[in-house]
Amino acid sequence: MDRTGSGLMSFIRSAVREITLNLHFRPGARLITLLMVALAFVVFNTFLIISWNLQSIMDREENLVGMEVFLQRDISPGEGRVVGDLISSLPGIKSVYYVSPQEAEALFRAELPGRTDLLDVMGSDFRLPASLQIAFETEAMSQERMSELSRTIGAIEGVKDAVYGENYLPGLIKTVITIRRLVILLGIVLVSSISLVVFYTVRLSVVRRSLTVNIMRTVGAPWWFIRVPFVVEGVFMGMTGSACGLALTAVLSEVLSGAVTHRFMPLSWMTLVILLGAVTGTVGALAGSYEKER
Amino acid sequence: MLVTMSGVRLSYGRWPALDKIDMEITRGEFLVISGASGAGKTTLLRLIWMGDKPDSGFVEVGGFRSDRIRRRELPQLRRKIGIVFQDFRLLHTRTVFDNVALPLQVSGTRNRTVQKRVISLLARMGLSHRRNSFPHELSGGEQQRVAIARAMVAHPVLLLADEPTGNLDPEVSREVVELLLEINRGGTTVVMATHDPRQVPAGKGRFLFLDRGVLRGADRWTELDQDS
Repeated sequence: MDRTGSGLMSFIRSAVREITLNLHFRPGARLITLLMVALAFVVFNTFLIISWNLQSIMDREENLVGMEVFLQRDISPGEGRVVGDLISSLPGIKSVYYVSPQEAEALFRAELPGRTDLLDVMGSDFRLPASLQIAFETEAMSQERMSELSRTIGAIEGVKDAVYGENYLPGLIKTVITIRRLVILLGIVLVSSISLVVFYTVRLSVVRRSLTVNIMRTVGAPWWFIRVPFVVEGVFMGMTGSACGLALTAVLSEVLSGAVTHRFMPLSWMTLVILLGAVTGTVGALAGSYEKER
Repeated sequence: MLVTMSGVRLSYGRWPALDKIDMEITRGEFLVISGASGAGKTTLLRLIWMGDKPDSGFVEVGGFRSDRIRRRELPQLRRKIGIVFQDFRLLHTRTVFDNVALPLQVSGTRNRTVQKRVISLLARMGLSHRRNSFPHELSGGEQQRVAIARAMVAHPVLLLADEPTGNLDPEVSREVVELLLEINRGGTTVVMATHDPRQVPAGKGRFLFLDRGVLRGADRWTELDQDS
C-alpha cells in the first residue's frame, strides 16, 4: 500500500469523504431522528425556562430578607458607619447600608404617605433614629443563624435593636429549599431522560447502517476510519437537534409571552443545552458503531 | 503455509459450530469446503478472517495468530484477505467504482493509484460500462463480479468466497467459478465455501467436507461424483 505523506492525505481525504457520504445517507430518516431529538429538547428547555424564572423569583424573595438595625439616638453618623463596618465584617453578611435620620424620614414619608401626621405630632425637633439595613449571604439564611446574628448585632455598642422577619422567615426558607431540591431532582431526571432519548435515537440511526460497518471491517478499515464518520454524525445530530429544540422553544416562549410573563433562559444555559446534545449524540454514535464493529 | 488451524473449536451457546478442526492451506491452492447448510462453512471462513476467535485452538493466517493478534492488527490482516459473500454486500449508496475502490481508500492508497487500479480491474472484469452504476441497477452476476473486484483490488494473498454462487443462476454461477479459478491461476489462494461442490470441476482444487462442524478430509468430490 502507498502510505507515504500524500498517502496519509488520501487517507484523511477518504475519511472526510466517508463523513460526507454518511451525512447524505437517508435524509428522511435523518430528519426523523433530528425531530425526535429536537422534541425531547423542547421538553427539557421548557423545564429550564420554568427553573430559570423560578430561580429569579426566589432570588428576589431572598433579597427581601434582611435585618434592620436601629442605632441609639445619640450616635453620630460617623459612629453609625463604624458600627456598620463592624457588622459587615461578621460572617454571612452580604451588605450593610447606613440610613441617616433624614433619609429615614424621607423613606417614611414615601412609603407611608397617609401617616405623615405621626411625624408632625412629634414636633419639628423629632428625628427618626439612624439605622443600618443588612442583607445576608444565602448560606446565612436559616432561622438559627439569623437569630444568632441578631443577638450578636444587638450586643454591639451603639445598637438599640435588631429586627428581622422572625415570623415569616422560617416558612420562606423552607419553601425555597424545598423548591430548589425539587428543581434539582427533576433536572437530574430530565437530563438523564433526554440523554437516553438522544443516545438511543442516534445509536439506532447508526445501527441501521450495520452493513456499512461490517463491510468496512471486512475490507480492513481501521477502527477510527469506521467510527469517525459516525461520531461526526452524532455530534451533528445532537447539536442540530438541540439547536432546533431551542429554536422551537423560543417560538413557543414568544407565543406564550402574552399569557405568561417570563424570561427566556440565559445564553450560558443555551450553550450547555447544545453541549449536552453534542455529548449525548457522540456517545450514542460511538456506542452504535462499537456495537456493530465488534 | 498460508493458513493453519489447530485444534479449533467454536461454540455458539451450547452447540459447537466447529469442533476439532485441524487444517492447513498452502499458498496458491484452490480449496473447496463443502457441506450442508449449517455445517459450519461460514463460521470456518469467519475464523480465517478473524471475525470470530476460536474458543480453543488457534488459527494462523499470514503470520497473525488468533490467540495473539491485537485488535489494532486486525485491519492489517484483513487487508491481505479478500472476501466475497453470497449476498454480495455492496454499499447501495455508492457507485460500482466507489464500491470497488473502498479497500484501497480505507488503507490510505493515493487517489491516482486508486483510479488506475479500479479502472483496470473493472475492465478485466468486463464492468467498465457499469462504472458509474449503482448496485441496484446491476444483475446478480454483475453484482457478484463487482464484489469479487472489490475483494481483489488490494491484491490480497487469500480470497475467501462464501457461497459466491448461492444467489445466481447456473450459467452465471459457472462464470463466477471460472473467474475464481482464473484468480487462483494468477497466484491468489482461494477458499470457496459451497453447499454444491459440483460447481468446481474435478481436479481443479482440493475438496474438504464439513459435517456438522467436523471436517472430513475425504475427497468428497469423488464420492459425490460416484453418487451422481
